Amino acid sequence: MMYGRKGYQLVKDFASGEKGLLKPFNSKLFDETIEECEQNHGLIQSLITKMQQEGLDVQNNRNADHYGALVHHLSLTRNKRCLMAYVHNRAEIVRDLAWRVGLVLLELPPDIQEKLTALEKDYFKNHSKAIKSYMGKLGIELNVDMVPPKDPYIKIRVVGDIDQGIMMSDKTTNFTRHSMHFLKRTDAEPYIARNQLTYPPCLIGGKI
Amino acid sequence: MFLFTARFSLTASETETFSDGLSVERKRVKPILMASNSDMGSADFESLSSTSDVELLKRAWRNEKAAPEILPYEGDLVERAKGQIELVEGNIEDYVENGMDPLVVSLYQMDLDRTQFLLRSYLRVRLLKIEKFMFHTLKSEEAESRLSEQEKVFATKCVADLAKHFEESVLIKLRESYRSVLKQSLISEEDDMVPEPHLDTFVVSRSNSHVTLNLYEEGESHQIVEMYRGDVYFIRYKVAKGAIESGKVDLI
Repeated sequence: MMYGRKGYQLVKDFASGEKGLLKPFNSKLFDETIEECEQNHGLIQSLITKMQQEGLDVQNNRNADHYGALVHHLSLTRNKRCLMAYVHNRAEIVRDLAWRVGLVLLELPPDIQEKLTALEKDYFKNHSKAIKSYMGKLGIELNVDMVPPKDPYIKIRVVGDIDQGIMMSDKTTNFTRHSMHFLKRTDAEPYIARNQLTYPPCLIGGKI
Repeated sequence: MFLFTARFSLTASETETFSDGLSVERKRVKPILMASNSDMGSADFESLSSTSDVELLKRAWRNEKAAPEILPYEGDLVERAKGQIELVEGNIEDYVENGMDPLVVSLYQMDLDRTQFLLRSYLRVRLLKIEKFMFHTLKSEEAESRLSEQEKVFATKCVADLAKHFEESVLIKLRESYRSVLKQSLISEEDDMVPEPHLDTFVVSRSNSHVTLNLYEEGESHQIVEMYRGDVYFIRYKVAKGAIESGKVDLI
């Protein structure tokens, strides 16, 4: 058995995913890593107890048991770093979702919601609140206008269900699926982020 | 007259015709906006345009985007930019009401969109840096002093939320002595789990004036580089940091 391997596998599991995309939370590997931490801890404790029973000075003695305990300690901290890195990197994607897709959890596409754990959903809500409160105090919306503007109007195609007409700064209209429109960029952006609108096929290949 | 004057390839005479009937804007907007109407030489124009708020904002935005760490908050500039954006928004509404040529209006709109993008992107880049290095940002007095009041509130909330998330997801499942967010274990003397910006990273910089930089930090070997106005250097961020903050060097 190689100590510290579980954590390494966990981090590798994250790194093997496509950049910026979430995979389902790997609870199996995560729990196994926690389990290994627990084993390491148990072994450290028994080594210390052993040294105490032998009447040795645990702080300063440098015998085999001391180094044994050290190895377990290092394995434990390494696993802890891996666990934290796993959660940290996923949290980074969660924050990115709030910025790029939308600040309301239930409005995220269902396939993304499925991949979040209950705790990550809470984190998403809390972080969205932080962003909203900052924007509120500043009086500027920051989660729009994510790409530099080239033209005030863009051509889009409806691909999702849009129940109510899009709130446009000028007027409303009927957004039947597959219909094409020429919209103000700022009006269309939030819907594109939620995959309800798309750029027409002729544009998708090119850089938009 | 356009906030983004330099971006428009309109000739002077065209600009002239646009400016008819825009007296509201002329009265209230700063010198740069009038410069394009006069017969000033291009050198004068350049020096004026480089001090317009939009140019300053563009510079702040470029520096902020390219620097690995957060730079001091340009609070006054942000306030002025906000004011000007509101003003132009008002002007555009007036133009529409007065039945101005829609093409001209859309040019103003485009110009406004660009400025708004700059402002939003500037503030956003800063928030993303705060998010990325949140524990470091609040731990280091230097980094904290560069934030606006609202950014500080944001950073504090970020740290609280992420620390809570770490605790509930990982730390609660570990033993007591390994539960710190900032330290690997109780034995660690320093906070050894705080991601920090890499100040040794290389940046592309252009100097605005004659600057002398020491390529190495104190204690390392001594080698000086002299940058003249307009020189472009690929340089370690740490070395140019002071010059960037004093405005002698810009990042590009």
